[in-house]
Amino acid sequence: MSIAFKPEETFRGDYSYRNSDAAILRFPFPFPEDKYMYSVNIEPHVRSGPSDVFLRPFDVDEHYIAECRDRAITLERDPGRCQVLPHMMLAQWDTLELLMENLSADYPEHFSLVKEGDDFGSRWTWTNRPLGIEQSFIFGDAATLPCEPFEYITRQAQGDFAICDQRDDNLYMDAGMVTSQADWSLEFDVGMSFMEWHGPVPLAHQTGVFERALKYLLMLRLGQPVRRLNWTMTINPRLDTSPESFPEWGTDRASVTPDNAGRKVHLRVELQTLWRLPRSNAILFPIRCYLASLDDLARVPKWGARLHRVLSTLPPQLVEYKGLTRYLPAALEWLARHDDGRELPVGTEAGVSTLG
Amino acid sequence: MLHSDIKSRPVYRALEPDLSAAGHLLVIETATLQPGGLASLADAFAPVAAKLHTWLVGEAQAVPGLGKPWHLPAVADVVDALACATRGYGIGDRLYVQGTEPFLWSVATAAAIVGFGPDQIRLCHAGSLQRRVWCTHCHGFTEPVTTNVVPCAGCGRHLLVRDHFSRRLGAFMGVMVDTEAPGEVPAIEEVFA
Repeated sequence: MSIAFKPEETFRGDYSYRNSDAAILRFPFPFPEDKYMYSVNIEPHVRSGPSDVFLRPFDVDEHYIAECRDRAITLERDPGRCQVLPHMMLAQWDTLELLMENLSADYPEHFSLVKEGDDFGSRWTWTNRPLGIEQSFIFGDAATLPCEPFEYITRQAQGDFAICDQRDDNLYMDAGMVTSQADWSLEFDVGMSFMEWHGPVPLAHQTGVFERALKYLLMLRLGQPVRRLNWTMTINPRLDTSPESFPEWGTDRASVTPDNAGRKVHLRVELQTLWRLPRSNAILFPIRCYLASLDDLARVPKWGARLHRVLSTLPPQLVEYKGLTRYLPAALEWLARHDDGRELPVGTEAGVSTLG
Repeated sequence: MLHSDIKSRPVYRALEPDLSAAGHLLVIETATLQPGGLASLADAFAPVAAKLHTWLVGEAQAVPGLGKPWHLPAVADVVDALACATRGYGIGDRLYVQGTEPFLWSVATAAAIVGFGPDQIRLCHAGSLQRRVWCTHCHGFTEPVTTNVVPCAGCGRHLLVRDHFSRRLGAFMGVMVDTEAPGEVPAIEEVFA
């Protein structure tokens, strides 16, 4: 399949990021019901689901080139957004192999991988046409790549990536490429255990969500990846909403009015997948981020109305944790115009095939 | 805002020796000792007295029952002593540390560098609740911090001191408090005295 990339769009400055109609219709809307609460919402990451973003294990869309460029800008300013603890080299190669194999198999027009063998020591040639990259290297020899393998391949992928090492019946976040995060710091979190890095999340600890999720993930099997959706809101289509750059984007939260909320306020959905890695036994945790403005979402009548209901019934602890406090009233006033109170069918599907 | 139930915050317990260990190193910040504190530690560690080394950091005190302790002026000297330790520490050794949180984590971090694994280190908080704070914006450290909001020693921003803790950095997270409304800094209160 051919993708019409939009290489010029930006996620900072003039924020020229826009979704095409097709991108809106495939948006992974996360709310099947009118109310939201945390749950262990993990399911097999199979090649199907209510949105086309689930059709391929690593989704590539029209924003691919622009997102890779935004990542490069962030890394230039703050190289610490990519960190790998020294014992993670095997997991780095596992990640490179997984991404190259899946991207080349699912998007042969855009990516190709030629291997002279499957094992360490084999010569591989990787071609990334959208970014104009051709690289021949020895699989397993980091000196034959321009940077370490995890950084190399995740600079060419959409979404953030963490690698969790598994030991002592726990998961430790021992590597990450994190340039489009919902306000968490890799520099602070790297090396933390599963419970530690989830420490600030309200309400969920008390209901045992994290104990159950950890138990489930420790049993994750090779070749049987799983997924879940997570979400927050972001003002402007900004990928780099890190704590490091909070002084740059925090003020935007005070700029929302009932009149501009439609174009300023974005629903930010993370498609989180989890993959057992074959050699290292670590878990790769890609966090693929999708952004849609309230304007975009309200063009799907079911989504505009449902988002209004979910946000108006959100527990106050979650409103505060997700940083919505200051602008939620303005966003709700805007969304109320798109909610006529009718009963909405359960499920996340758009329910329409063209946009109004 | 401050969440008091954040799970990354370490839980500390009173020190007691691991009787199966080969060697025991006890490091104490003397300024945090309560009257009689050394005597009760001496009681607790009596079963391993023959294999115990004690490092007292700060003002010297008489220590009946803790062997012949080393006296070190400051935590920086502990870090140096660990880094230069000619005696190799092995998997059977245990490190016990008592003091304020910045002290505990300075020692634990230095010990990790010379090979102490997390299971070999026991920490017990004593004395002031003062914190070391890591700025999420400039990545600088500020300490000691006893207030809910503190100007960052690195970049000068007013940081809200959160309960989220990183063992690797040995510090609590500090986040700019007035980003959304510049100049709106909440009342500064002494909360970690």
